[in-house]
Amino acid sequence: MKSKNLSEKILKSVKGKGFKYIELPSVIETNHIVQRSGENFRKFIFSFIDQNGNELCLRPDLTIVSCLRYLESNLRGKEKIFYSGQAFRKSQNRKDSIIRNQIGFEIIGSKDEKNDDKEIINTSLNSLKNLKYTSGTLTLGNVEIFKLLISKLDIPTRWKLRLSRHFWREDYFNDLLKRLETNSDVDPTIVEIDKKRYLKMLKGDKNSIVAERSIEEILKRFDKKIKDPRRPSKGRNVSKIIKEFLKIKCPINKAADVLNKFFKKYQINLVVDQRYFPTSVNRTSKLNVVFSTSFGRQLEYYTGMVFKIDIKLNNKIKNIINGGRYDQLISDLGSKKQISAVGAALNLNY
Amino acid sequence: MKNIINIGIPSKGRLRKDVLNIFKKKKLKLVSERGERDLIGSIKNKSNIKILYLHAREIIQRLGDGSLDIGFSGFDLLKEGEINIQKKINLVKKYEFGKATLVVAIPDPWIDVQTVADLEEIAFEFRDKKKKKLRVATKYPNLTKEFLFSKGVTQFQLVESLGATEAYPFTGSANLITDISSTGETIKSNNLRILKDGEILKSQACIFTSKKNFKKKGLKALVKLLTK
Repeated sequence: MKSKNLSEKILKSVKGKGFKYIELPSVIETNHIVQRSGENFRKFIFSFIDQNGNELCLRPDLTIVSCLRYLESNLRGKEKIFYSGQAFRKSQNRKDSIIRNQIGFEIIGSKDEKNDDKEIINTSLNSLKNLKYTSGTLTLGNVEIFKLLISKLDIPTRWKLRLSRHFWREDYFNDLLKRLETNSDVDPTIVEIDKKRYLKMLKGDKNSIVAERSIEEILKRFDKKIKDPRRPSKGRNVSKIIKEFLKIKCPINKAADVLNKFFKKYQINLVVDQRYFPTSVNRTSKLNVVFSTSFGRQLEYYTGMVFKIDIKLNNKIKNIINGGRYDQLISDLGSKKQISAVGAALNLNY
Repeated sequence: MKNIINIGIPSKGRLRKDVLNIFKKKKLKLVSERGERDLIGSIKNKSNIKILYLHAREIIQRLGDGSLDIGFSGFDLLKEGEINIQKKINLVKKYEFGKATLVVAIPDPWIDVQTVADLEEIAFEFRDKKKKKLRVATKYPNLTKEFLFSKGVTQFQLVESLGATEAYPFTGSANLITDISSTGETIKSNNLRILKDGEILKSQACIFTSKKNFKKKGLKALVKLLTK
């Protein structure tokens, strides 16, 4: 933990931007985390069973806890909040601390999304003024542009969903692209064999249930799948477009221009305006501002603008702030309607 | 007591028979005072060796805590163990028996599911349309979790099984299973089908030693004899 003095200065500067301080619980239901990030995320969390048999865990992340607070307190309308505290997470790297000291700030439930994105970035930049550093980079990405691109590509719907769902898991995403190139998820021989069963099952009781799936449901999906033929060359072409897209990295003021040229080159019906980005200034404070299409893959819940700030401190590059938009998170946690949310966390363990 | 070598042998099943054969071939006569069901034994004329007949899973645990010096068990059970246990165990040799594969199996009538990628879609359908988690019954929660996650299946819930896992999808306890299979017959006869890319781990019988006690007198020579 850096000096209390520094932490207080940062908190003061966030408060000065009109954010309201809130306290967050240290322990939450494990299910909230596992439902978001999957069973495998268990290896990163400190979980335990309480006297009533409920599985709880130390908060591995402050954002989820903050969104849960908004949801469970039945809050409505816009809230600008900030908090500070520890997040507890196991790491495969022994040198990493399991306790992460963070200061977070968020705007939840607002309808002015573009301006909120700007405000979160400005608040982040303002907080940085309390740190002594020589230079750094503000990297901006946008998960929404990636999803829009996928929606325009000539591939079956199930592939669109698959690629969108796994954008944040880079290794698996690359495996998916390889599979897209070879079309190996549909084996013609097996399809032929199963087709006979399909015809037989069509004549049977379609309402009967097998392991919680109705025969009708199974047949419908089978039918849809075999009607989705795709030449390997098509898959290869789509994979090439995605790979090329993910290589785009440029100064922020060129972002719209570079993206539009890319869309035109591959005849993709998309246009992006420079106003789409929260800033068009290539240099702010001591930071270079760049746009990167592949950035934003570290957390599943980001849905739009994402950013990180790395600074040079004592000749070492340190990641200091991460943030972005997560408009689905509160509804994924149980809200009936979608509630917009954008925020950032400042890492005090640098 | 300090120089007694403790050997763990599976207490039942095919694995026990095959391990006992190793001792027979090496002319090491196993003796049990209270007959075949005795869980503690020794080797004739080797007063420094104690034999303990344990569950194959427990052999891994006891090697990990150092209460066994040598143990025979399955490679699958080592890999399923917690990482801090695995680190304390040496794999000395893989034998040519006890071969089996840990696989993902689904109900055979799910004809639209051929690969783990299909399963990933089904998992999201369960979450989004049925508001439920896809439930996977297994005796291997750690290996199953790692495998499914590496293949993109993140939305699932594990149901830990203690036996007869193949029945789980048809009793409402789970939707699919992962289980160890040597010929695939049991899976097939229970109306299940192994996914095309559903192989999690190839396993076989192994001899292990506990890292903690590897310097015990006579242990190296005994291991050499059992693995020759």
